[in-house]
Amino acid sequence: MEAIPILTIDDVNAIDQVLSDFLQKSESQLAVVIDKGGNIISQQGDLNVMDVTIVAALAAGSFAATKELARRIGEMEFNALYHQGAGMHIFMNSVDENTIMVTVFNDQTTVGLVRFYTANASAQLEQVLNRLREKSANETFTLTKEDIANAGNLF
Amino acid sequence: MSIINYASREIQFKIVYYGPALCGKTTNLAYIHTQITPENKGDLVSLATAADRTLFFDFLPLNAVVIKGFKTKFQLYTVPGQVIYNATRQLVLRSVDGIVFVSDSQWDKMEENIESLKNLRENLAKQNMDLDEIAYVLQYNKRDLPGVAPVEYMDFALNNGKKRVQSFEVISTTGQNVFAALNAVSQQLLYKFTKESDAGKKDPISVA
Repeated sequence: MEAIPILTIDDVNAIDQVLSDFLQKSESQLAVVIDKGGNIISQQGDLNVMDVTIVAALAAGSFAATKELARRIGEMEFNALYHQGAGMHIFMNSVDENTIMVTVFNDQTTVGLVRFYTANASAQLEQVLNRLREKSANETFTLTKEDIANAGNLF
Repeated sequence: MSIINYASREIQFKIVYYGPALCGKTTNLAYIHTQITPENKGDLVSLATAADRTLFFDFLPLNAVVIKGFKTKFQLYTVPGQVIYNATRQLVLRSVDGIVFVSDSQWDKMEENIESLKNLRENLAKQNMDLDEIAYVLQYNKRDLPGVAPVEYMDFALNNGKKRVQSFEVISTTGQNVFAALNAVSQQLLYKFTKESDAGKKDPISVA
């Protein structure tokens, strides 16, 4: 399945619980779960420091480009990516075939610690997302023509 | 693929502006960025070369109207038009919900338009998608330039899939019909959520 079409409040709570726990243990600033198309599935942490939507789009692009690089040298993909800055750093890792976890952290913690706790968080997220996909296949979201007509032009 | 989030009451959509090199895809996004109020838009991010040619993609996040209690959020992307960047175009098309195909109306660009549209169908097919099944509109851009093909010819050359789609005569530098095309593809996206989804059965509309 390419993406997760419907996220209920319980689904988001389950994902956020994993992310909160991860942030606390790894002492990171921000954790975002995105699909490989750049859509945000959920996010936790200090959301005021950056535009998370843009971070998600760029992270997905970066991850996708790196996957292609990996394939060129005979690897399936590099399942983690680390960008080191002067004060802020980004760690990205593959959760499953369609999902990426992006972590933003500063010098309060280390990449080793982030990487260590990411492994556990990713495994938990994968379980949550698998359950969610199975359940989501039976759920639908519908609009009526009136809903759309009432909205008028979107822009 | 769109994501519906009941916790944040949001629906996310991804729209990709596709077309040949230098047809005006980035100009479309730049115009939209100038017209949307600051609270409803993010930064326009351009991953371009020093010569302002798109290298990876341009990206513009937008908030639109609230429908049935859900805020609609749109992510607009462009692809790099140059032929050599096909691998990048395939990446940008991942999880796409809607396509705005931007064609260049000048006669001498017609071959590039047709080639790019063929490339779009091929790239969608690689991810098991069909242009005839997704939200899709056509822009005939650069209508202000001399040496442009008549709309009838543009239709003949480009609007010739299984179904006729909505097409728009656009001047992206001045913004003419840029929002008309964006609104049309957005409406088609929403109609995909209606039970009696008939977005594809509507008569094609040409906007002069």
